[in-house]
Amino acid sequence: MDIICDKRESGTLLQVSGRLDALSAATFEKDFLQVMEGGETKVVVDLADLKYISSAGLRSILASAKKARKAGCTMHFCGLKGMVQEVFQVSGLGTMFTVSATVEEAFGA
Amino acid sequence: MCSLLLLLMICFFVSPAAAAEGKTVRLALQWYPQTQFAGYYMAKKKGFYAANGLNVEILHGDADSNSLDRVISGEAEFGTAFLSTAMQRWSQGAPLVNIAQIVQRSALMLVVRKASGIKTINDLDGARIGTWGDTFQLQPEALFLREKLHVTFVRQSPSFELFMRGGLDATLAMWYNEYHRLIAYGLNPDEMTTFFFSDLNLNQPEDGIYCLDSTLKNAPESAAALVKASVQGWEYAFAHPDETVDSILDIMKKQKVQANRAQQTWMLARMRDIILVGKQSRLTPVLNPVDFDSTQRELLRSGVITTDIPYNDFYKELLR
Amino acid sequence: MRLHGIAFRLASLTLVGATLILTAILGYNYTVSRSMIVSLAEERGTLLADYTAENISGVFNAIQKVMNTISFSLEDAGLTTKQVNDLGWMVLNDNPEIFGSAIAFEPYAFQSDSKYYAPYHYRSNNDILFERLGGKDYQYFYMDWYQLPRELERSVWTEPYYDKVGDSELMTTYAVPFYRMRDGHKVLKGVVTADISLSWVQKLIAGLSDRESGYVFMLSRYGTFIAHPDANLVMNETIFTRAEKLKHPQLREVGRRMVAGESDVVELKDMPVIGDSFLYFSPLLDQQWSIGVVFPKKEIMADVSRLNREVATLGILGFVVLVLLITCLASRITRPLRKLTVSAHDMASGNLEAELPVTTSKDEVGELTSAFQTMQDSIKNYITNLTETTAAKERIESELRIAHDIQMSILPKLFPAFPERKEFDIYASIEPAKEVGGDLYDFFFVDETHFCFLVGDVSGKGVPAAFFMAVTKTLLKVVAERTLDPGEVLIRVNNDLAEDNDACMFVTLFLAVMEISTGKVRYASAGHNPPLLMTKRKGVEWIPPLNELVAGVMEDTHYTTKSMTLSPGDTLFIYTDGVTEAMDSTQELYSEERLEDVMNQCQGKSAEQIIRTIDGALKDFTGGAEQSDDITMLAMQYLGTNSES
Repeated sequence: MDIICDKRESGTLLQVSGRLDALSAATFEKDFLQVMEGGETKVVVDLADLKYISSAGLRSILASAKKARKAGCTMHFCGLKGMVQEVFQVSGLGTMFTVSATVEEAFGA
Repeated sequence: MCSLLLLLMICFFVSPAAAAEGKTVRLALQWYPQTQFAGYYMAKKKGFYAANGLNVEILHGDADSNSLDRVISGEAEFGTAFLSTAMQRWSQGAPLVNIAQIVQRSALMLVVRKASGIKTINDLDGARIGTWGDTFQLQPEALFLREKLHVTFVRQSPSFELFMRGGLDATLAMWYNEYHRLIAYGLNPDEMTTFFFSDLNLNQPEDGIYCLDSTLKNAPESAAALVKASVQGWEYAFAHPDETVDSILDIMKKQKVQANRAQQTWMLARMRDIILVGKQSRLTPVLNPVDFDSTQRELLRSGVITTDIPYNDFYKELLR
Repeated sequence: MRLHGIAFRLASLTLVGATLILTAILGYNYTVSRSMIVSLAEERGTLLADYTAENISGVFNAIQKVMNTISFSLEDAGLTTKQVNDLGWMVLNDNPEIFGSAIAFEPYAFQSDSKYYAPYHYRSNNDILFERLGGKDYQYFYMDWYQLPRELERSVWTEPYYDKVGDSELMTTYAVPFYRMRDGHKVLKGVVTADISLSWVQKLIAGLSDRESGYVFMLSRYGTFIAHPDANLVMNETIFTRAEKLKHPQLREVGRRMVAGESDVVELKDMPVIGDSFLYFSPLLDQQWSIGVVFPKKEIMADVSRLNREVATLGILGFVVLVLLITCLASRITRPLRKLTVSAHDMASGNLEAELPVTTSKDEVGELTSAFQTMQDSIKNYITNLTETTAAKERIESELRIAHDIQMSILPKLFPAFPERKEFDIYASIEPAKEVGGDLYDFFFVDETHFCFLVGDVSGKGVPAAFFMAVTKTLLKVVAERTLDPGEVLIRVNNDLAEDNDACMFVTLFLAVMEISTGKVRYASAGHNPPLLMTKRKGVEWIPPLNELVAGVMEDTHYTTKSMTLSPGDTLFIYTDGVTEAMDSTQELYSEERLEDVMNQCQGKSAEQIIRTIDGALKDFTGGAEQSDDITMLAMQYLGTNSES
């Protein structure tokens, strides 16, 4: 898994690619936490290039979202497709978060 | 002074082995032992004389003795001599006969240094010419008379030092002897110009064997045997040059005559040239009547002889 | 020494280098020493030739002076017989080196009645004797000693000759012409001579020849050998007849230069006996004689060779010493290395206690050894740590194994689970991944007519997942036994799980309650992937997902209860994503499509057969690739109350 962090005016964009599974979940959490600690109020997670997400990956997203909510930071998702979109849908996560089609939409929201 | 001392030398050379057999005769040669006389020494050494029933004592010559004098005086039965010398004696009344003519061609020559500028005989007009005794002067005298040239003959010692040191314009030389000495003194053949008398219509046969008329009459078989064996000796010498030179050098050493191999080898080779003339391979010891006549003519002209010598009286052919 | 060892290579490289250097030095030495020795020999030969020539000339010059003086005296016209004789006697008396002296006059020049007048004084047995030369038998006018100065009008040295009186000594004569004035003209009167023995010259030269490795010889002005170690040559041969005999044209050329009064050094090829030689020659100018010094080249070269042999011997000795030194040094350097190698081999084969060689040196080998020591210590520490860690890990693993076993044991495993019930057939299987996972399934009767069955998947793996699973299972059982509404069950269970769930663990759940008598199924799903329904009428179809949130994440999440009715022979297939996300070796997912295809082939099969078929197909797909997630499947086949209908 690779995470590209892009600090923008209206928030931070995290572009996650590869596989988000038990192995990489901790990394995602850690990176996200780092962004949070910088006092960020809006994080957009772009999952367009994510090929696979496991339940552990979902858990790391949920855990991160929980921390974000406590810190008063909103978490947006975008670029969901294929298996990832399916997982988001099936697991009901899609109902929990703001999900946009594109990065621009997410920042616009 | 050396010649004075040479006088004291003893002349006998006797082979003890052959001494006991046959009739003892003595052969007087013109000069000291050298390959000029190789045939006689080899005939004795190889036993050709003994095989022909003769015990030959060879008497070598020297500066002050004459082989024909020895024959005339009875000191020797036979002697070798130049044809001209013998004819001179004959005309003076000596009862000599030529029983074999060995050397057919004259070896006498004139030698000048190329550096002297003399190129032809005519250039010799007014020249000082080295000579060594009267015997060798007959042909040059005839030559210069014929060519109407005035020259001065200067008698020089056999060392040829006078010529070598530039005291003479030309020198007489025998091809087989003195000419080689000049080479042995360091003169290169290409530094010398040579004139052979045999090439100047003045060929005079040289060494022949002579005896008294009476000796021939009394013992013609001995004379014939001597000639036959001598011819054999010469042929052996020409066939075995190395052995011959060795033998002669031995004899010369015993006689304390200055000798060296190169000189004796050269001399033997030149003797072959003047003995086996033309395309002859065998020695024919005959006096050529043409050569005899021309020699006589020149001798008469120069006054050495005053009367005609009949060929048949002078020459007796023994081998035939 | 090993062939590829450092010691061997070091030694051979050094020695090859040393050999090259040695060869180069030898070659250079040979060349230089050769030219040095040759030029030394040249110098020596030239000096010897010059010195000898000067020495002999000195004596001759003295005699020349004496005789020139005498010749002046003889130009006095008034000399009497006695005075002339006395003069001759005096010459011998005053000059011991003169053997004889003649005062020879021109014909009739001294006494008008005498053609020959030549008083001659000579030595014999320490006396000076007298005689008169000349006569018919001794016409001295034609002798070289008289004729040459007369004709050439200058004094001459005659060619050497043997004096036949006495011991036959080699002599030469110095002859000086003397003149008197007549009518204002110089007229030759005679020649005065001095005979000199050359024995001393021959001895002098023989002496030199003895001392030198070569030999010395002397030539007259015509190249005649006056002195030569080979007595046969003396006076018999000239250098030219020698050249003729030896067929040696170069010798003739050199001879000509010698008698021409030159002085030089030449190399003569192929001389008899001595082979190639150097000839140094120097003239006696007045006599035009020449001294030659001959050195055999091979003797001169022998010095060079000897010198080179000595240098070579020294070189080889040095080489041997070098070999020994290098061998010693190399083995001293490599000995600790070799020991270290042995120790390293020992260590490599597992003996960490292998003793390293003790080095006190501070060189590279010393550093290497102490590095090895450090490495050995580090490895030992590491191994100790590893052993401890491994032990701890093993303990944990064994505990995990036990936990796993316990976890598995809480799932119902006995099939057929309810052999007395003909209304339905249920079969479930769980294939745990290597790690302890969080899949669960369960089924039980809620009451006489309602049968609850469920499949769940806890997020993550390991002990937390296992705990969460156990808790979930227990909660579900407790809650499900109190209510028949699956949605309600999930709401309650979710609330319990979500409480204080900081780790955000969650579980997906599919829970169904079937009314056995009717085949009516009520179900709810917490983010679980949709099960398959296989009916005789419609075939295989996906149960539409409700897209409700996974359980344990958020309290007060609402879960909807849905319902459907199974006809006898219909089968509900519930599974975890371990099935669809099973991967082959190229990491391709098994996928819903493949599952659906296999399921289509399962019409008419029993619950157990269906699960085994899918399991078989799954195993065929993965081809033995390692399983990353638990694979849990549950098949509920409704058979109806009357099996005949």
